Amino acid sequence: MTATVEIKELSKWFGNKVAVSELSVNFSPGITGLLGPNGAGKTTMMRVVAGLQVPSQGSVSILGKDPRTDPEIYRKVALVPEDDAVYGHLTASEFVTLAARLSGVDDIERRVVDAIQLVEMSDSSDRKLDGFSKGMRQRIKVAAALVSGPEILLLDEPLNGADPVQRARLIALFRRLGDEGRTVLVSSHVLAEVERMTDQVVAMVDGRLAAMGHISEIRSAMSDKPRRVYIETDHTRRLGSALLQLDGVVGIELDDDRLTLQVTDAQGFARGIPKILADGNYAVTRIEPTDESLESVFRYLVEGE
Amino acid sequence: MTHLVAHLYRRTMRKGRLIGLTALSAVPAVLFPLLVASGLESAELSGTYAGVVTGAGYTFAIAALVISGGVLREERDSGTLPYIYMRPYSRFKLALASVTAGAAAASTLGIAAWALTVLTGLLVGAGPSVTGSGITLFVPAAIGYAAVFVPLGYLFSRSLLIGLGYVLVGETILAFVIPGLAQLSIWRISMSIYASVADFGPDSVAGLGPIAPGAGGGITKLAAVLVLGVALLTWALRKRDAL
Repeated sequence: MTATVEIKELSKWFGNKVAVSELSVNFSPGITGLLGPNGAGKTTMMRVVAGLQVPSQGSVSILGKDPRTDPEIYRKVALVPEDDAVYGHLTASEFVTLAARLSGVDDIERRVVDAIQLVEMSDSSDRKLDGFSKGMRQRIKVAAALVSGPEILLLDEPLNGADPVQRARLIALFRRLGDEGRTVLVSSHVLAEVERMTDQVVAMVDGRLAAMGHISEIRSAMSDKPRRVYIETDHTRRLGSALLQLDGVVGIELDDDRLTLQVTDAQGFARGIPKILADGNYAVTRIEPTDESLESVFRYLVEGE
Repeated sequence: MTHLVAHLYRRTMRKGRLIGLTALSAVPAVLFPLLVASGLESAELSGTYAGVVTGAGYTFAIAALVISGGVLREERDSGTLPYIYMRPYSRFKLALASVTAGAAAASTLGIAAWALTVLTGLLVGAGPSVTGSGITLFVPAAIGYAAVFVPLGYLFSRSLLIGLGYVLVGETILAFVIPGLAQLSIWRISMSIYASVADFGPDSVAGLGPIAPGAGGGITKLAAVLVLGVALLTWALRKRDAL
């Protein structure tokens, strides 16, 4: 499929801090999830693609054009920024109308109504944005982005603040936009969220490309990662030796009242531990996985640590 | 482009801020009747008015700094800049629209400041023949300051501080010490336009420093400032990070 967004050896730094490092990736029509922990460089990448920031090195082209030098491309590109920023003094309808006017679209009135309907906010279209919840602001930002009918849609953490029902509706909307042949790039630090939208992902860590492709490949790489689990108990030695019998427990550290386990088969461990605790009548005050964050998972993908 | 200018203008002219800045710009309107009431001959009215608006009018320069410097700075600081930046306008048009909105906002304040001097002048018997020409000071100054402060607001996060330095130190002190700097003073350029139509007192003429009174020269200088301001902002919008 033809790439609509091409990023070649893109680097972006601010003083000594490197936000994006030698990133080369193309995006085609359909939804692509941009995954990575906070600080991975997703927002910077989005901003550079949107032409809001100048690449320190490398290049970005959208439909063959450089967004920095060809503002006409903004007829075909829209961004939903991560910031919770809207014009609070405007009503929802005025905000979307402003976006339509500034984009120079025809038949403004109908398109504004349609865009607001798409995000299911018709009932609130006359309310001031100052009174909106974060989730409602996200949806109206999406409406403002859609009103010009963009071919390329950049969505930076668009589900932040949305409640579960709103999330489900926005996800359905994004999927529909992808199915219509638009290029939809959605950033998120929540794997499960992206998984509901698309199976094509680009993962970033520390400004670099960590993984790219089908989501099952990322899942598979994640399942190989040993997890660390803390257990607080009064019987560290006895419980430790009992837990070593479980398949998938590959390491153990003893402390005064705490065990730290290295587990390769998290599901097998979760199934086996209740029986061991019950059989030995061990008093356990806490069991906690310590490195389940997406950041640690991605770091593992990049560095194998 | 008119939609963009209208949006930037409306955003800048928030009610609370407008009241505060109008009050700041109204210092000459308060001082003038007080001085007249203290016992001036009517023959001195014009010279006194000119002295008051040119001397105390610096408060308007500060108000113009706040209002026009905020046109793009506030969009950037509040995170709404993408909504105007990512539109199919050339960067030149975006710069021109921003400076135009800044000039319109500052001019609104300037006209309010001048209108207040007209009203308070009427209270002490100074009619439009005395105060009417004041508009030729405030509006050119508003346009000139917008051409300087709109780009300044976009380029520097501490633009208010830098702008205050320009107004309070550069235009008032340094321009007296270094005569060449007076040629770069928006206030003095505007005073030169005002001086060509108003009955200036000797104190006000002295305030011009090395600048000769004259509408033609003043307007030419302001036009040059405007062109430079728009060019600088166009460059910044093209070459610098917007966020």
